[in-house]
Amino acid sequence: MKRSGKSGKKILEDYRRYFPSSFVEEMRATGRDIVESERDGAFIYDENGKRYIDCITSGSIYNLGRRPRAVISALKKAVRQTDQGNFPMISIEKAALAARVAAFSPAGLECVVFSVTRGESVDFACKLARGSTKRPEIVTVDGSWFGQTGFALSLSERSDRGMYGPLIPDVVTIPFGDYASAAKAVTGRTAAVVIEPLQTENGCRAAYPEYLRELRRICDRVGAVLVFDETQSGLGRSGKKFYLEYSGVVPDVLVIGEALGAGMFPIAATVFTKKLNRFMNAHPLIHLSTFGGSDLGCMAAIAAIELYEKLRPWDNSETMGKRLRDGLEKIVRGRRGAGTVRGSGLLQAIDMGTIEKARAFCRAAAKRGLLVMPGAVEASSVIFRPSLLITSIQVNAILEAAEKAAGGL
Amino acid sequence: MDGRRGPRRDRKGGAMRSGVSGKRAVLGREEKKRVEEQFARHINRGQVKYLKAGHLDVLESMRRGVRFTDLATGRTMIDCFTSAGCFNAGRSNPLVLAALEDALGSVDMGSWMLMSPWKAALARELVEVAPKGLERVFFASGGGDAVDCSIKLARGATGRHTVISTVKAYHGHTGFALSANGKEHYRRHFEPLMPGFEFVPFNDLDAIAPHINDSTAAVILEPIQGEAGIFPASDEYLAEIRRLCDRHGAMLIFDEVQTGFCRTGRFFACEHSGVVPDIMALAKSIGGGVFPNGAVLYRPLKSIERFLEKHHDFHVSYNGGTDIGCRVSLAVLRFMRETRLWEQAERSGNRLRAALEELKSENPTIIREVRGRGLMIGIEYIHEFMGPMMSDALARNGVFAAYSGNAPQVMRFMPPLVASDDDIDAIIAAARAAVGMMKALLPLALPAARIPFVLRMLNSERVQTVLFNWLRSLEDLAGVLTEKRRKAK
Repeated sequence: MKRSGKSGKKILEDYRRYFPSSFVEEMRATGRDIVESERDGAFIYDENGKRYIDCITSGSIYNLGRRPRAVISALKKAVRQTDQGNFPMISIEKAALAARVAAFSPAGLECVVFSVTRGESVDFACKLARGSTKRPEIVTVDGSWFGQTGFALSLSERSDRGMYGPLIPDVVTIPFGDYASAAKAVTGRTAAVVIEPLQTENGCRAAYPEYLRELRRICDRVGAVLVFDETQSGLGRSGKKFYLEYSGVVPDVLVIGEALGAGMFPIAATVFTKKLNRFMNAHPLIHLSTFGGSDLGCMAAIAAIELYEKLRPWDNSETMGKRLRDGLEKIVRGRRGAGTVRGSGLLQAIDMGTIEKARAFCRAAAKRGLLVMPGAVEASSVIFRPSLLITSIQVNAILEAAEKAAGGL
Repeated sequence: MDGRRGPRRDRKGGAMRSGVSGKRAVLGREEKKRVEEQFARHINRGQVKYLKAGHLDVLESMRRGVRFTDLATGRTMIDCFTSAGCFNAGRSNPLVLAALEDALGSVDMGSWMLMSPWKAALARELVEVAPKGLERVFFASGGGDAVDCSIKLARGATGRHTVISTVKAYHGHTGFALSANGKEHYRRHFEPLMPGFEFVPFNDLDAIAPHINDSTAAVILEPIQGEAGIFPASDEYLAEIRRLCDRHGAMLIFDEVQTGFCRTGRFFACEHSGVVPDIMALAKSIGGGVFPNGAVLYRPLKSIERFLEKHHDFHVSYNGGTDIGCRVSLAVLRFMRETRLWEQAERSGNRLRAALEELKSENPTIIREVRGRGLMIGIEYIHEFMGPMMSDALARNGVFAAYSGNAPQVMRFMPPLVASDDDIDAIIAAARAAVGMMKALLPLALPAARIPFVLRMLNSERVQTVLFNWLRSLEDLAGVLTEKRRKAK
């Protein structure tokens, strides 16, 4: 591969100069001051050729591993045929991907709005619910993490949320998994209930199937829109195509994350029912995205969906997820202060007890060639989310590195 | 001029020499219908109707330089909409495509939490081309995301809430950006939005001055309002706001998503006035028309640095500042600097503007005003209903230009900045011919438009959609009949 021709030291200097210096310190403290050089499948290599198993996958973007060949060749071909296009226009690429996404999604979700990034998809989901129901209130649960943009931030549990002035009004946060609160909070004023069925950044806390079913019932009763954000748990990561399959619940709106572009093109989607699209049909071009659903991105995503359908990585995710989980449980068991392993499929988190220990673990793991990160909400947890095409030998390598990293603490 | 004539007899366009497959594929009527139905079913039926009513239902193919070919009609058109300013470096710019292909050969999007030499390189290049003082960089996934990041940074750093925006302003569709949009149209179905946003008339110093005080977090402005219908701010206006922000410790945010990257005859529009903002949001053309990217540049003020010390991850971007995106953006910047693209934009802009001014003085019953800077030019018509009619007339003359839903009486001309003098002259000729066609139609429409009720009807978006769709289906019917007659012969 083409080297940048710059040493890590020079890049670090540039980082200090152009980005917040505390960002560089944070990278060092968690063992992430690594130049991401070559990438291939489950691995990345730094500029010195040291190999790491990528268990961050940039927040579950690389579900099909780093640089999936089929997506690259489709993209290379598309580059000579199309570009991003004029965003308000009808396009063959957009129409084709929308049909593919609809067929790939749970039955009943057949309309699509594309975006570039998760926050944008969640912001749109909230807008769609408010516009359709003509109601103001959005109900969410604690421990959530939806992204950086306005609505997404307003719904997320993060320590800095108070720093940005008054956010979107009429947002109500209820305790996760609490049936009584849900029944009380969701009323005729409620436009939407927005939830991640599996809260990745909150130590992979997963909703019980019955809780999701109850939310579905409550929403149906009062006419509220049920929104699932499966940005991290979707597209095979949880051991099913979507985590919602464990409950059999189909929401009215599903946020599909950036794994849609397989890490080769930034594209995400919000899929929803025909009924909700009545509002959008009556108000065309009321929500726009210049880069969302760009024609090139659509070609990349079509190739990615074909690969998902061909490889069915959710099957491997289920098998390898069990192996990973069993191994992690062995490591955690008997450690003082460390709690349980939580998650589903190849989305697992261990609780290290304290934030400091979680960070120390990440640092120690990086030294041993394993890249992991703490949760953004539950910072004492460490999340494991490798490529879904990972082999049992590679899982063993993850476990070996994790065990050594934990042993040194 | 017959828009449905065969592709082989088309004027010199980019299609034949673009050489994608050697010959041009034109979509049959049925095939186009199938695409539209797929789009309508899975994306938006209302959008299809709306675009058809406005004669904007083209299917872009052969996207090269300043032109693309409509797959359905075989018409080659000059792109004067450019996704609202995304194709400044030209469509499918060879240098940009080479960079993209090169990147596809070795990297992927990368990971924001690790170190990337390309991220560092792009940050350095952006700072080099930016107005002096904007020394630091965040990446974002697009315009709205960049604006959200900017407003969060301003509120976070000042600890204040009030954000002053302008009437008709357009900043995007994500939570903060939407809250800063100064047009009810985009907001009203999604309220309540964020409190603390105040709106004042644009380019009116007396209106904004009393609003800026010690509780102001930020003033956010487009140096030239784009979606609103191309309204440039005066240099004095921007300079005085800069002074007021300094006096009260408020952040000045410029949204240069549409105006940036050489569009207005300078690398960034704020250079015309010499006013440097504290925070500047960028997107669109930074992606070279092929790969999403965006950036926020900011001055390392003490208040900002203090805030970032604790909150460096306040707006991380997984999808902006990707490795592929940065390599594409680096090629875009290199192309712009090497060709001094802003100079070409200024020269071409003067040429186009002078011609449109002349057209205006010849046709005072059709054109009210010509505004803009560089190659960001708007023509305002006397009546709103002229927008869709002009779109169609221009398309028939080989120019694709869109009226804004935000301001249907204004047609925007924002062609790729790589347009040659010949291209600009072709746009001018098309505009002339389009106005000529309008003149022929107006004796029918204008007397009716004098009746207030009819005018209201004509200007109503919904009525237009129904009416123009009905006209379109008549045209389609005529097309089918002509085809049948031809086949019968």
